Amino acid sequence: MSFDFNLILQSLPEMLAGLGITVQLLLVSGFLGLLLAILLLLMRISGNLYLNSIAQVYIYVFRGTPILVQIFIIYYGLPQFEAIRESMFWHILREPTGCAILALTLNTGAYVSEILRGGVLSVDKGLLEAGSALGMSARQKFIYITTPLAARLSLPAYSNDVISLLKSTALASTITITDMTGIARTIVADTYAPYEVFISLAIVYIIFTFGLQKLFGVIERYLGRYTKREE
Amino acid sequence: MEVLNGWWDDYFWGAIIIAEVFVASLFLMILFGLMGAGAKLSENRLAQRVASAYTVIFRGTPEILVILLLYYGSAITLTAIAQIFNPEIRFVDVPPFWAGTIAIALIVGSYATETFRGAFLGVNPGSIEAARALGMSPLQTFIYIRVPEMWRIALPPFGNHMLSLTKDTALISIIGLNETMFVAKQAITVTGKPFTMYIVVGVIYLGFSSIITLSVMGIEKFGNRTTVGAR
Repeated sequence: MSFDFNLILQSLPEMLAGLGITVQLLLVSGFLGLLLAILLLLMRISGNLYLNSIAQVYIYVFRGTPILVQIFIIYYGLPQFEAIRESMFWHILREPTGCAILALTLNTGAYVSEILRGGVLSVDKGLLEAGSALGMSARQKFIYITTPLAARLSLPAYSNDVISLLKSTALASTITITDMTGIARTIVADTYAPYEVFISLAIVYIIFTFGLQKLFGVIERYLGRYTKREE
Repeated sequence: MEVLNGWWDDYFWGAIIIAEVFVASLFLMILFGLMGAGAKLSENRLAQRVASAYTVIFRGTPEILVILLLYYGSAITLTAIAQIFNPEIRFVDVPPFWAGTIAIALIVGSYATETFRGAFLGVNPGSIEAARALGMSPLQTFIYIRVPEMWRIALPPFGNHMLSLTKDTALISIIGLNETMFVAKQAITVTGKPFTMYIVVGVIYLGFSSIITLSVMGIEKFGNRTTVGAR
């Protein structure tokens, strides 16, 4: 048993060729997931019992089941139905990338909406009372007071969720997508050198995570530029 | 639903495997978490460094990568060791159960490290001073003051860690653990009904998540029964 450094130099560029797909999965499902999360949040705080229950059940189901099961239900499961194969969505659901993005979006949306709700609930009541005193309508209060404060308050938790989303994109390799992990698994199957390949890929992911953390740190400082600094 | 006839017992045994992985990995996860927290809180620089590296590595690497690395890596290492003693041995088989259990315990343990550390630091300093004023020894303070306060602080995040362990079990099916995902795959090759079979898996996981969530809620209520203004 030996550690083959040449193999790392050889396989690293091959794996980095999959970086584009990893980033694509992260950005597209991250963005769509955020939109879904905002929709679910609005349903939960709408005050409408039905909308609230639908959102609650959705969040419960998607947070209570493994993401891998969700990916498999969408990729392998949905084509079981004739109606899906003949529908307009089939050209998305036929592609593994479309399925992976759909699964990651649905999953991250459930988590992020709970994070956003936490942010909304922790907005200082006094500020909302001040808004009422100024004669603001409920909608105005939500747009001008709740939204900016909740965004800032939920940012630290949100950054953690983006990092778990990044880690979840690696599961796309289970449905034949050649993201970084998918390529690494092919290389390991050929060379049978799991240490060299998987450890160097792990370092790539760790650097990526570190970069995301730094980026969110910058955004947090920017959004918090008017708040008192805690020394 | 009749396609499921004949598969119920397989799913049942798959669910038992999930429960086994959960119990074994929960035990290891607590162990890793306590060791990590202990090292981070210790005065020893080296221990602090090692614990920080542990959390950075396992929180930044995709779960599937850790599982694959541990499974294939340990097979190679154990084969190499075995060949020293007996060159006849071609290959040592590592049970996916243990490779997977240790992998997810290491991952979730890195999150638990922060939870336990936070709980230790979150103990009210006044309580500690009061204990000292009453002449309690450090050991007594730890057992009678710190631990009862700590577990109440740690419980909500700890519940989330238990949910992660359960859901990560699904990933171990990738290296061939015969839990419910694996059962579904077999059932699909026979029946050709992927949606139905994976939905059953989802329902089983949802059941496990619900049991954990309800238990944690119950314990939380019990833990806060005497606190003033309980959450």
